[in-house]
Amino acid sequence: MMFGAIFVPDFLLQAAGRADAGLRNRPMVLIDGHGPNFHVVATNRLAAHLGVRLGMTKAAAAEFAGVELIARHKDLETSAHDALLDAAWSFSPKVEDTAVDTVLLDLAGLATLFGSCENLALQIKSRCRALGLDVHVAISANPETARILACAKPGPTLVPDGTEASVLKPLAVDLLAPSEELLGVFRQWGIATCGALAALPVLSLSEGVGQEGVRLHSIAGGQGQRALLLAEHRNIFEESLELDDAVEELEPLSFLLGRLLDQLCARLSARALAIRSIQLQLELLTAFEKAFDTRRELLRKRPVSETFECSLALPRPVQDPKLLLKLLRLRLQSNPPKAPIQKLRMRAEPDRPVALQSGLFLPTAPDPDKLELTLARLSSIAGESNVGFPELLGSHRPDAMRMQKFLVSSVVPSNHKKTDDSKIGFRVIRPPWPANVTLQDGRPVQITFRGQTWKVVQASGPWRSSGEWWEENPWKEDAWDLELRSAGGKSPAAAVYCTVFDALQQKWFVRGSYD
Amino acid sequence: MYVELHARSAFSFLEGGSVPEELAGGCATHGMRSMALLDRDGLYGSPRFHLAMKKLGLQAHIGAEITCAEGGRLALLAGSREGYQNLCRLVTRMKLRSQKGQGAIQLSEAAECNGGLICLSGGDEGWFAHVLERDGVKPAAQCLSQLSAAFGQDNLYVELQRHFRRDQECRNQVAVELARQLHLPLLATNGVCYAAPEQRQILDVFSCLRNHRVLANAGKLLSTNSERYLKTPAQMAALFADLPEAIANTCELSSRLSYTMKDLGYQFPVYRTPDGESQMEFLRARASEGALHRYGSHNEKANRQIQKELALIEKLQLAGYFLIVWDIVRFCREKNILVQGRGSAANSAVCYSLGITAVDPVGMDLLFERFLSEERGEWPDIDLDLPSGEQRERAIQYVYERFGKLGAAMCANVITYRGKSAAREIGKVLSFDPETLDRLSCLVGAWEYTDSNDTLTRQFRDAGLDLKQHRIWKFFELCQKIQDLPRHLGQHSGGMVICQGQLDSIVPLEPATMPGRVVVQWDKEDCADMGIIKVDLLGLGMMAVLEDTLRLIRDHHHEEIDIGSLPPDDPAVYSALQQADTIGLFQVESRAQMSCLPRLRPKYFYDIVVQVAIIRPGPIVGKMVHPYLNRRLGREPIETLHPSLESTLARTLGVPLFQEQLLRMAMIAAGFTGGEAEELRRAFGFKRSEARMKDVEIKLRRGMDLKGITGETQDKIIHSITSFALYGFPESHAASFALLAYASGYLKHHYLAAFTAAMLNNQPMGFYNPATLIKDAQRHGLRFKPIDVMRSHWDCTLEEDTDGFRVRVGLRYVKGLRKETGIAIAEQRERWPWVSIDDLKQRVPQIHIDELRVLAAIGALNFISKDKTFHRRDALWQVESASRNVGPLIAAHIGKNKQTESEPASPLKAMTPKERVFADFHGTGLTVGPHPLAQYRQQLAKQGIAPVSRLKQMPDGKAVSVVGAVIVRQRPGTAKGFVFLSLEDETGVANVIITPQLFEQDHRVVVHHSFLRIQGRLQNQDGVVSVKARQIEPFHLADAEVASHDFH
Repeated sequence: MMFGAIFVPDFLLQAAGRADAGLRNRPMVLIDGHGPNFHVVATNRLAAHLGVRLGMTKAAAAEFAGVELIARHKDLETSAHDALLDAAWSFSPKVEDTAVDTVLLDLAGLATLFGSCENLALQIKSRCRALGLDVHVAISANPETARILACAKPGPTLVPDGTEASVLKPLAVDLLAPSEELLGVFRQWGIATCGALAALPVLSLSEGVGQEGVRLHSIAGGQGQRALLLAEHRNIFEESLELDDAVEELEPLSFLLGRLLDQLCARLSARALAIRSIQLQLELLTAFEKAFDTRRELLRKRPVSETFECSLALPRPVQDPKLLLKLLRLRLQSNPPKAPIQKLRMRAEPDRPVALQSGLFLPTAPDPDKLELTLARLSSIAGESNVGFPELLGSHRPDAMRMQKFLVSSVVPSNHKKTDDSKIGFRVIRPPWPANVTLQDGRPVQITFRGQTWKVVQASGPWRSSGEWWEENPWKEDAWDLELRSAGGKSPAAAVYCTVFDALQQKWFVRGSYD
Repeated sequence: MYVELHARSAFSFLEGGSVPEELAGGCATHGMRSMALLDRDGLYGSPRFHLAMKKLGLQAHIGAEITCAEGGRLALLAGSREGYQNLCRLVTRMKLRSQKGQGAIQLSEAAECNGGLICLSGGDEGWFAHVLERDGVKPAAQCLSQLSAAFGQDNLYVELQRHFRRDQECRNQVAVELARQLHLPLLATNGVCYAAPEQRQILDVFSCLRNHRVLANAGKLLSTNSERYLKTPAQMAALFADLPEAIANTCELSSRLSYTMKDLGYQFPVYRTPDGESQMEFLRARASEGALHRYGSHNEKANRQIQKELALIEKLQLAGYFLIVWDIVRFCREKNILVQGRGSAANSAVCYSLGITAVDPVGMDLLFERFLSEERGEWPDIDLDLPSGEQRERAIQYVYERFGKLGAAMCANVITYRGKSAAREIGKVLSFDPETLDRLSCLVGAWEYTDSNDTLTRQFRDAGLDLKQHRIWKFFELCQKIQDLPRHLGQHSGGMVICQGQLDSIVPLEPATMPGRVVVQWDKEDCADMGIIKVDLLGLGMMAVLEDTLRLIRDHHHEEIDIGSLPPDDPAVYSALQQADTIGLFQVESRAQMSCLPRLRPKYFYDIVVQVAIIRPGPIVGKMVHPYLNRRLGREPIETLHPSLESTLARTLGVPLFQEQLLRMAMIAAGFTGGEAEELRRAFGFKRSEARMKDVEIKLRRGMDLKGITGETQDKIIHSITSFALYGFPESHAASFALLAYASGYLKHHYLAAFTAAMLNNQPMGFYNPATLIKDAQRHGLRFKPIDVMRSHWDCTLEEDTDGFRVRVGLRYVKGLRKETGIAIAEQRERWPWVSIDDLKQRVPQIHIDELRVLAAIGALNFISKDKTFHRRDALWQVESASRNVGPLIAAHIGKNKQTESEPASPLKAMTPKERVFADFHGTGLTVGPHPLAQYRQQLAKQGIAPVSRLKQMPDGKAVSVVGAVIVRQRPGTAKGFVFLSLEDETGVANVIITPQLFEQDHRVVVHHSFLRIQGRLQNQDGVVSVKARQIEPFHLADAEVASHDFH
């Protein structure tokens, strides 16, 4: 009975740099945290050599010239972990998902397929490299010894049966993965190596540190035999990429899409699967001002990135990343995202590959929902921001509104009567009509707009408002409610209009009329 | 004419955009003869408003907007003193029963205290507007009727404001209609929130801060327009042209508001003498008794001075004040609380005789007039230093008990927006991302020193932001605009105001954050301005140390020491001072003091007074240090700035060092009166604005011009005087501190064990960490005993040995050991000594495993075992099993009787010496064993690295290398970017000077490493030794991390 262990050193960094092999050769640190507490959570050897240390603040790390600061993204770690499992499953169906950076494999009966243990170990390394992971591999008769050695040495390490204790003896006790508390105890005891731990009397140890101590004592002595907790097969194939600098052009976007497709296809082919359909989700970067929402429930939230989604259903399963990339490009050309892209997420639905080719491959047109199609057509004609329903914003700025997307409300409208007892309706003129106003003692007496001159019968105002002084385009205006009578005609028409004097433009406008 | 009768200042805390002085200035500019300030829920800005208006010859009406339990606010104006008192009481009642920043009054409560109060129906925030908007016209009419019933028909005005808003005009129309129906007068106001229209932006920012929003999403919480500024009477008349009576009524109401804050009705409490004699007779008797004790019976000079002072005290009717301070001091003495007066009180022989101060002003020839002068007409200022902590709290509680809950309160401390806090708040409101904000605030004042280019402009550039961008520019602009505006109210560190009876009718009181404390709504400057007397009860760590030292001496040496009667010229103390051997000494232990002491070479007590005063930002920035030292060493002639100042500056060799001298200079050179000099003194310590200092400078120059002092001499005098704005000591204050410095030196030299134990028991304090204090004491021959659960108490204690006293380090130094656990260990041990670790675990059941582990790791459990070879790891081994409770069955099975026997040794190896040092530092932050560097000495010697103690014998200019633990890093604001390190090895402490360029280059090494190797040039001049660094490297010593005190 033999067991293999695959360990991904510097897992966080490898996960972050998996899609960009060039990163591995540069000093690189991973930054995590919130608000003012951004700090370094991982460094590669080159960065560590320059003096960057774990726990340093982002600002401190940024002072090191040439060091690449990369934000930590959990999605990338999930994808890397999935890829690790895919690699393991491509060799053995019995795989234990030991840790985010470690898997154990039951190698029983694989000799006929992969040859000797050395050969198998080399193939595992090679498969993992194809999936963007540099791994350590160890093979031993017990899984714990294999795991510890994979953590300790790049390998491939093969442990001859019966030599486990001596191989483990000089290794650091930390590799046994004791709890933090127990590790502290070992440190205070001066127990630094597996050999030192194995030499302690087990009974006294049991009395002092309990069963965990006994278990580690046994592992340290090369007795780590146990059954694997087999992981269930998962068919989730998802890859994502979060960008420090958002991309706007289709060309660089295609390059990134190609990377994701390469990774997905490699994972699927490792599992002897192909792609049936792809869902692409792009997170777009929107400016803070555009995203802010004055609705009470949203006030405290940070601006939310809009997402752009597109799906590609294929008539039959495909494993060719180049072909998939061409299809995706076609789709995006016809309906490009409207803002720079800051995150890409691609999910593939797997299927068994078709053994025979049955004719020329043609991408099938998607079958979009009719409403969405109609809306999309309307949007392309009127513009995205002009389709939907208007929503007033909680601002003093007159006529502050925006368009909201059509929503299907799940709430059944109640039959309550309209309680608003106001008798006056106000018709907003958009865009407002320019006007010429004659003033007397600072009050309007005559107004001309749309070629007609009106006498002011009564004026109420000015109603002064100003604001958004912190922005490039503040506003400042005096509004007047004017009762007007046409200057000519026998039976002069009467109307009540709201006119405004824009103090910044020094111009008069008619904003609307009262019914 | 028009009078603005409803204005709010920035003292409405985030509801006003201008300080009271700006509003008063606007009032004067607009030609208004009076104006009313109504801050929200208090009279926070009233004293400043009153004084500013008074200075401009205008009348300040006082009022407040008070939150009403029924909704909205009541705008109340004080028509008379009774009204003012009622207003204070209402606010106090509301505040004292609520959480800080909350509270409201019922209308019925206001009706009970309606005497002398005028009510306005209010603006947008008023109760009337609130009811009208919420419930409609009829309830609003009822609201006016209720107000009319509560305050009287004649005392209610229906307020109209016009800010060009439709909703407001609707309200006005209803208000006019209702006023006519109810026969109530109309009153036009502008509901002023800021002095000028552009300050609306500040108000918008404050609205965001108040509501925890950013400008982009604050929406309708922001102002509609910028109309709530202080308008001219003509503007207001035009606005209310259709309602002229509303304008006319403002003048009519203003004339009814006869009250001004000049008439607060404050009375200092009367001291009740025991036998019915007068306060003055009683004071004379106490002063005579004290004088006999202090001066003996034949000191004519002292007697004359005391009689002179008593005569003035009698004339100014201040006997009660002196007796009350004396009473506090008496209480402290009775309760064995060490107390000493400081500040200008040390100029008074009466204070010295009464035991309030400990410095002899007659012997030192101190200026009594600085303390008390007939001309100034203000209360004297007596500050009492008390041991910080519980003892000080006892004294404060005594004052509360003595004068009642409404007879005494702490002064407030108005916290204002300063550079960093302003930048952070504005940045948030403008939606800068947290990272940029963090970067900015890290740049602002990370170190005390900022060079001339370190402006906001540079900070922006460093943070990658462009000031030309509109929003960035707004940030810059707003940061400057909100500087010095009040942010919130804190509690003054020790200032207490006391009053004869009802303090709550003089100034509103409110609860402090600290339980059991009440604060007044004014800061100490305002209290002083309003003639309210204050006694400062200040906590001083060194007082606590001295008190503890005296107790230890009493207990162990069986000697009674009186700090006030120490031998005045102990040669050992002066010798230590001359050699800068001053670690742990009060005020003279800093690096800067140490580098000055060998030059100044104190020989007499007055030299210590100078020493304490000279290393202050005032004299340093005023470039007074080197001239004084050079003159003292005879290297330059003694010259005075101007012949007329010779007598004033003679004592300090022609160099002004003390505040009194500066005041006297202003009086002689610029013809300042006593009152003007006092204003100058206030400006020195005035942190509100630099404008006040500028005014004083103009006056000084004008005065000197008149006296014919011009040109360079004038500039020099001005520089000397204004540099004190950066803080300088008054002579009497320096003398009080010098006494403590001398006392600490005396006790350290003669009772080193007691003094060191007391220092260790009162940490954190002073300039050095405990590890450094211990190493210094060891170098002076004191021996320490390690922490031991068989002997140690919570505090450090003295143990007598054949060769003297040793200090047993207390359990307080065990990191992570809770105080209650530590005390329980000591108490249980007193009953029966520990026989095993299990015994300890069982008799102190609250002890955590982590606490046991750290005790074992530092060797504190070693002595439980009778086995001499029992070591720390044996204890650590046993601690683990002791922490696992096994049942009696298993205990019996494994054959252990845990209550009585210690267990057999462990299979673990003993710690190496390096491991022990590491465990000591890790577990206690110090070691009583050898210094971590001692083990490396041979290795260092081979590399040519000298021990620090050898530097003194080396010639000036020699190239040297030193290695040491960084115990202090300092970058003082006055040192032009130079960084100073104190580097400790096993032989002593070396000073290292790092140039700004080198610091810039090796910033990370200097800041982040505990041990450094410095190569540089030795500076050995006048006994002052330092190394000017040329190369800095980290020294890797894996085993110990020494904590440093960083001052930046």
